[in-house]
Amino acid sequence: MKKFRIHRTFFALLAICFLLIAISVQIKIEKTKRFRVPGSSIIYLPSGKYLRLVTFGFNSLLADIIYIWAIQYYSDYRIKDRFNYLEHIFSIISALDPYYIDPYRIGALIAWYEGRRIDLALKILDMGIKKNPNDWILPFEAGHYAQMYKKDYKLAQYYYGITMKIKGAPPLARRLYAAAAFKAMDLETAYRNWLEIYQTAKDKRIKKIAYNHLYRTKATIDTIKLEKAIRKFKEKYNRLPMNLNQLVRAGILNKIPKDLDGNDYIYNPHTGEIKTPYTPWKKE
Amino acid sequence: MKVLTIALNTFKEAIRDRILYLILFISIFFIVFSKVLSMMTVGDELKVIKDVGLASISLFGVFMAILIGTNLVYKEIDKRTIYTLLSKPIHRYEFLLGKFLGLNITLLVMIIIMSIVFFGLILLHNSKFEAKFLIAILLIYIELAIITAISILFSSFTTPILSSVFTFSLFLIGHFSKNFKFFIMKTKAPIGKLLIKILYYILPNLEKFNIKTEVVHNLPIKSDFVIYSLVYGIFYALAILFLSALIFHKRDFI
Repeated sequence: MKKFRIHRTFFALLAICFLLIAISVQIKIEKTKRFRVPGSSIIYLPSGKYLRLVTFGFNSLLADIIYIWAIQYYSDYRIKDRFNYLEHIFSIISALDPYYIDPYRIGALIAWYEGRRIDLALKILDMGIKKNPNDWILPFEAGHYAQMYKKDYKLAQYYYGITMKIKGAPPLARRLYAAAAFKAMDLETAYRNWLEIYQTAKDKRIKKIAYNHLYRTKATIDTIKLEKAIRKFKEKYNRLPMNLNQLVRAGILNKIPKDLDGNDYIYNPHTGEIKTPYTPWKKE
Repeated sequence: MKVLTIALNTFKEAIRDRILYLILFISIFFIVFSKVLSMMTVGDELKVIKDVGLASISLFGVFMAILIGTNLVYKEIDKRTIYTLLSKPIHRYEFLLGKFLGLNITLLVMIIIMSIVFFGLILLHNSKFEAKFLIAILLIYIELAIITAISILFSSFTTPILSSVFTFSLFLIGHFSKNFKFFIMKTKAPIGKLLIKILYYILPNLEKFNIKTEVVHNLPIKSDFVIYSLVYGIFYALAILFLSALIFHKRDFI
């Protein structure tokens, strides 16, 4: 019995000793510099289509793991070409778990804010929109990227148009749609939508915002019409009209449009410029 | 009655197995660890907890079913206790059915423990009980019942190691089976098509019990699908069990 106890103590001591040696060697190893190609692990990731075949029902879990890994990967600034694989990585996550919304949003965020690749950001969001047609956040964000960073208002209008048709989308989407339509010079659509927003809004502030936009949209439509008429007048008489009524007298226009409040537009006979009587947002 | 006695004895025997507790401990560790993993994500942390939790219940449940299931019958043969048992007025199918039920009771207890930890973690995070997860766990349990039946089938004629390998392979194939449809589509030869089709229907289609993605994303799940999957699972397990009984009948013990 005594012999057995001695043996047991001896083995326990040996185990502790070996463990301590192993730990100290590990510390030593960690101090040794290793040469690695940053981000080389990417080459082991096959396409999502094939990866899904071998997930054996754990595709959602694998999507989480790759997503978490991708966050760490894109936080590594040493990998210079990391943005080249962005689409590959996020398409894998999308193939494994198409309903996982966060990766599309974060993928687009990385693509634009880190990689400055706006088209890639939109491509990742498009991937999500296609697979989640009932989720409004993805086209909403795509609209934001298109409007704010790509400055493609037609595209923004398209994305906001998708957003506002989805159940549960915030009313803001419609206002952004109308605003994007205005910037894309789709003035008829902009006017129609702002009018509807104005007529249906219950909130006083929203009503005022809609009115201001309506005013600006109508003023732009009228200004374009008047400027076109002035150009015709100039072609005909080789001079600018003295006032806007001359356009009616010359038979170019039937009547002179008025602003949304019923006021006359301000015309400068020296430059041919048309102005609104006031700036809507500055009006009390 | 005899079946129930065997089942209860099997349960008592199974819960004495240390490996069961080791797997249970690892699974609980993974479920709890999902909280740490969720902190590393950007966005919905709860999604990671749900995914890891359900995957742990499913995967470790399978390990339990295989490791215990493949040993149960073999142990009786190896220790020769089966001679004593079969010399009593017990049918061989009753013996297998009892083993099957016993193992399923064990798995039920284990799944309940894992689920309590899983729901506890969700409640801590969300303070909301989501009953739809119970459906997902119920289907996982039915899948485990099939795995148990398969492991008993193999253990009735081969060694535990081989039974484990075969059962685990069938588990993988079972989750791969939905791709058989793709192969059927791609195969041009009519005989090849027919063979793959036969394989598709004969092999267990375990993807029918996988609604993890649906419940995590709160997608609608048709009640028909759940009911049919349950019925399919029960009948498939019974079919395997009676096939085991057939093989077991042919073995010479006495």
